[in-house]
Amino acid sequence: MVIPSSVDPGFLPRAGLDRLLDLLTADGRRVIGPTISQGAVVYDEIHRAADLPSGWTADQAPGSYRLRSTGTDRQFDYAVGPTSWKHETFPPRVPLTIGRRVNGQVTFEDAVPVAPLVAFLGVRGCEIAALLTQDTVLARGPAVDRDYAARRAAALVIAVECVTPADTCFCTSMGTGPEVTAGFDLAMTELDDGFVVRAGSPAGERLLERLELSPADEARTSAARSAVAAARELMGDPVPTGGLPARLSAAAESPRWAEIAERCLACANCTLVCPTCFCTSVTQVSDLDGLEATAERTWDSCFTLGFSRVAGGNFRPRVQDRYRQWLTHKFATWWDQFGSSGCVGCGRCITWCPVGIDVRAELLAVAPPPTELSDATTQIIGVPGPERIEAVPGPTTPALLTAMTPLSDAVESPTYSRAFVAERRRETVDTVTIRFDTDDPDLLAGRPGQFVMAALPAFSAAPISVSRFHPDGLELTIRAAGAATRAMCGLRRGDSLGLRGPMGRGWPVDAAEGHDVVIVTGGIGLAPLRPLVDALFAERTRFREISLLYGARSPSDRLYVEELSELAARPDLDVGQIVDRAGPDWFGRVGVVTSLFDQRHLDGSKAVAFVCGPERMMTATVDVLRDRGVTDDRIFVTLERHMECGVGLCGHCQLGKAFVCRDGPVFSLAEMGPAFGREGL
Amino acid sequence: MHGTHPQTGERRFDVEGITRVEGEGSLRLVVRDGQVTEAQLAIFEAPRYFEQLVVGRTQDEVLDIVARICGICPVAYQMSAVHAFEDLAGITAEPAVRSLRRLLYCGEWIESHALHVYLLHAPDFLGCANAVELAALDRGAVERGLALKKAGNRIVAVLGGRPIHPVSVRVGGFSKVPTKRELQAMRPDLEAALGHALGTVDWVSTFVAPDFEREERFVSLRHPTEYPMSDGRIVSSDGLDLAPTDWEAAFHEEQVPWSHALQAHMGDRIPYLLGPAARITLAADQLHPLARAALDRIGLADAIRRNPYWSIAARAIELVHAVAEALDIVDGYVPPDRAAEPWKPRPGTASWATEAPRGLLFHHYEVDERGRIATAKIVPPTSQNQAAIEADMTSFAPAILDEPHDVATHHLEQLIRSYDPCISCATHFLDLTVEAAR
Amino acid sequence: MTGAVRAMIASRPRLGIMKFASCDGCQLTILDLEDQLLDLLTRFDLVEFAEASSYRSSGPFDVVLVEGSVSTPEQAEEIVRIRRETPLLVTIGACATAGGIQALRNWADHDAYRAAVYAHPEYVESLATSTPISDHVAVDGELRGCPIDPGQLLELLTALTVGRRPQLPDESVCLECKRRGTVCVLVTGSGPCLGPVTHTGCGALCPAYARGCYGCFGPREGANGASLATWFKRDGRTDADTARLFAGFTAYAPPFRSVIDSLGGPPIASDQGEDA
Repeated sequence: MVIPSSVDPGFLPRAGLDRLLDLLTADGRRVIGPTISQGAVVYDEIHRAADLPSGWTADQAPGSYRLRSTGTDRQFDYAVGPTSWKHETFPPRVPLTIGRRVNGQVTFEDAVPVAPLVAFLGVRGCEIAALLTQDTVLARGPAVDRDYAARRAAALVIAVECVTPADTCFCTSMGTGPEVTAGFDLAMTELDDGFVVRAGSPAGERLLERLELSPADEARTSAARSAVAAARELMGDPVPTGGLPARLSAAAESPRWAEIAERCLACANCTLVCPTCFCTSVTQVSDLDGLEATAERTWDSCFTLGFSRVAGGNFRPRVQDRYRQWLTHKFATWWDQFGSSGCVGCGRCITWCPVGIDVRAELLAVAPPPTELSDATTQIIGVPGPERIEAVPGPTTPALLTAMTPLSDAVESPTYSRAFVAERRRETVDTVTIRFDTDDPDLLAGRPGQFVMAALPAFSAAPISVSRFHPDGLELTIRAAGAATRAMCGLRRGDSLGLRGPMGRGWPVDAAEGHDVVIVTGGIGLAPLRPLVDALFAERTRFREISLLYGARSPSDRLYVEELSELAARPDLDVGQIVDRAGPDWFGRVGVVTSLFDQRHLDGSKAVAFVCGPERMMTATVDVLRDRGVTDDRIFVTLERHMECGVGLCGHCQLGKAFVCRDGPVFSLAEMGPAFGREGL
Repeated sequence: MHGTHPQTGERRFDVEGITRVEGEGSLRLVVRDGQVTEAQLAIFEAPRYFEQLVVGRTQDEVLDIVARICGICPVAYQMSAVHAFEDLAGITAEPAVRSLRRLLYCGEWIESHALHVYLLHAPDFLGCANAVELAALDRGAVERGLALKKAGNRIVAVLGGRPIHPVSVRVGGFSKVPTKRELQAMRPDLEAALGHALGTVDWVSTFVAPDFEREERFVSLRHPTEYPMSDGRIVSSDGLDLAPTDWEAAFHEEQVPWSHALQAHMGDRIPYLLGPAARITLAADQLHPLARAALDRIGLADAIRRNPYWSIAARAIELVHAVAEALDIVDGYVPPDRAAEPWKPRPGTASWATEAPRGLLFHHYEVDERGRIATAKIVPPTSQNQAAIEADMTSFAPAILDEPHDVATHHLEQLIRSYDPCISCATHFLDLTVEAAR
Repeated sequence: MTGAVRAMIASRPRLGIMKFASCDGCQLTILDLEDQLLDLLTRFDLVEFAEASSYRSSGPFDVVLVEGSVSTPEQAEEIVRIRRETPLLVTIGACATAGGIQALRNWADHDAYRAAVYAHPEYVESLATSTPISDHVAVDGELRGCPIDPGQLLELLTALTVGRRPQLPDESVCLECKRRGTVCVLVTGSGPCLGPVTHTGCGALCPAYARGCYGCFGPREGANGASLATWFKRDGRTDADTARLFAGFTAYAPPFRSVIDSLGGPPIASDQGEDA
């Protein structure tokens, strides 16, 4: 769809490019555009038209890029190179917050985004799609990356339509090019003697007027159209996208993943050259005493081992897990999350893979299009995964391309507020419960099952479930699993720490109304369920029988021991406790938590279950619950994943189509579908 | 055994691990009837067999490998090797590349000399055990030394990526050369460093050195127009003058049982000395005018020549020289047309000598038909200085025999330190337990 | 000395810096932290650092940084002794973490090596192998690199004083290369590069200087050297060329070692590299 413009297309002779650059400079814009450096066409600052890659193109193939002289004076005769515009809109390192700690008191200050005016010159159709894709992820809510939004707002987009695609290009399949149809201020098409220029926004119209071009004649506009059409013809449709998300979710257990892992280096190049990949981590840059530290948002990748690591384990230890995560996210679950494909077909991941893995070939191999299917595969695909029944997106322009809404009125991600230690109670040898005073109304309005990001300057922030809400504060039960949580466990009365939240979606208390409630938990998993128990008792009559089944490694590993005794004494609650290893003072049961079901009558049709514990314990519990007839829509679990931001921006906690931090951490099994318990997700 | 033997009257001075030197060595002096009977600088650094490690390697790989002989002077190893290989390949680096090589070398001289003057050697003159104690006395001085060292490291890092084991030196030139702007960006630091270097000269000239005169026999490179660094002829204070490729005609190496470093001698077992004192003695006329003026001002040229303790002044003067020359190169820099000349490997003999911070460093390689190394011989300055150090210990010892034993031993350790021995370099290759005295 | 001062000194960790077979470059990196050196030295009680201080200590220590590989019988005994003297032992650099360039002799005939360098090999006592510290004693942490990176060293020392876990990611060099905007030298054909299989930490130096990474930080987690070697072969490199590339400063680290072995070994003296 072409946005109609009141200013007619003009013709900019090649010699006039410097005038365009002068206008942009006069507007105070730094111009970023293609230039030859390090053996490639890379985006860098452009001062004069002479800085452009006049007479250069590049031959691209899987794992190979070679500059080649064209012998013409064309300046945009190349397909996209190694850099993408995200270097400018989403730089590799950006300060987020500056934290300080003096005498036990913390302060946090958000870094102010610095976004000087820029103009991007030579943006391709696929690249506009990439910018719009990242807009959706980072700047259209629910949370917003302030730095990105500011930089994006400061950028003027001057597109140049691609007429020389590389062998690695497949924008035609992804519906993002080579035509430039929206998302630009000016769009140019290169001819031998100059450019046909049209405006795509009010800012572009003003610029076009100031250029004072003669109108582009019919011969030129038609030559421009046919050049782009020829480029489309050249690319064909190398990646049939019909039903691709469903095809991919059906292929979750394909042996091909392990085969790819034999070749894949897990070096992360594909994700870093990808113009839409947005995963980041937060790194701490601190002074020698850790009294002042800047938290920086840093490019990361789902291919690194650390990316999915949590205290005590890793959710994607194998390279095949990580490749599957990347590919299925890009081509399938991105639709669920953001309503478009995550791939724009630019081909960078193919060219810049050091061992030439071609995502087009892998897609065809992992999830072949229906026409090439054997009967056996058709049968599998005939039963689409539960999470992908509706959408069978074809090679159409993603919805977002037609919807250029202004960047964001969306909610900003919350900032740290200070909370003070009011009371501290040791639970086990490595776990304490701290009651914090806070006057942050957002925190006080939290719901059972929600969590907070807790931070001390110089330490990485930690997601911690709220273990009780008070009118003037909240409790956190913290296990000293790493350096940050160890430091938090060491806080004294009156000390402060930073809290951001509440985050995520908590327990659906209302779903239990009129039902029997079964709460099953293990170890420290009791902490996020404690506010649920509080909530159930606050309105006890809304619910039928309530059971709390609690397993721990040993009697001394149990949390809230006194409270448990008080609860066990209540007539309106059934408490079962069990430990793996008994101590001398233990007269209760010994075994795994699921054996507590043995002596209990449970009418699955009337029950709602809430489960929290180690993943293996939850899988075993779910098996029992299903056996007893509890349906998946009435089984709720809370999941642990690596989290850095807590608001769905950093990408770490993805699990299938969900961001655990934002969409969870509480999920019903029905929502999760086959993702629950699947290895390597 | 340590101290005076009750029956024989033999005195032994042992320092098991000499501190504030680079690498692991010990010294032993045995005195009987007022006569020094043994003076040994034992280098017991673990052998690493570099001359074997390079066999079968390409010449560019050798540049990366030989750097690892020494963490303080990696550039020196790269320079001797790269010049040897280019000489064999028949390449003459274009002037801008040659200047950048000298700039890189200046960076290493600054870093190495500043380290030795401030962190290793000066504490001896001021009665400190280390730079932390020195900083307690005179923090400004230590900060000045660190700023100088940083300026030198910065040069190496700008040209080669990092201060230790830089990565850009390639046969034919560099893998990448800096822009004019990148070099200019160092200018403020270098200007400050020049002030610090001149301040260093003034500072060390106030030191009081023990009295001692040695027999002078110096060897260094000499170039018609430049202060000795990356090329020139080998000359000596007693008239030697030969091409750098002919080192083996005048010098030879031998193994002594108490050291993992092969010792080098001139002619018929004649010890000789390399390094800053040798260069200043043999090429003072070619010092940068600023360095020359500083030398004249402090009037220590003779002391540098005669008394090894005054090597600290020689290093200070060379700091001025290296910073001043670096500034000149930065100001005159026009980037070369290409970072490296193309070249084809050729078989034959590749040899060259350059001036490492500690003195003449000779490399000799046999290169095979494929351009790979068949044999290698690397003669670092410290192994060449060993014999002279031992000879100086022998002549110095009688003067301190009346001192209390620990004081005398301390004096000896200081004497060793004044030569800035680089033991990692010297070790062709560890612990030697042979005790010659037994 | 007042009680308060004594308490402060007592709270400064006793730090020892030790050297085994090495070039001194990694301990020199400590002295290269020029801007922080004097401040750092007030936070630690530097009781053993022969390269820079005349005070000596044989323990006990709170933290020991060890440079160099184990290559003599004495060193093999000494490292066991040091391990008993310290609760925290961190190895620094390619020699200590992987055996160093001198570990190439592990593939060779050691006696022949010794005889080729020394006229009297009997005076020289060295082990037939050069091995990482972790082959001899348990190691609590490591800094990779030949030499170590000053930024990572500062991060380690800062983390030690603050009491947090140092941020030393185990990822490929490629991430840093891309963050700093360097174009991939492997893909543009400017040279073979070990970056994709090499542990990060150097700041992606070599590609920024227009050459391939030579792996001096050693293999990263799960380094798929076999796949990279296969690609090099498709790209026209001989097995011997690829073996030489892996046979650098961290050759003896297991994932690289197995690649080297599968390609016929390093070009050691006894085998001149059959790739003419």
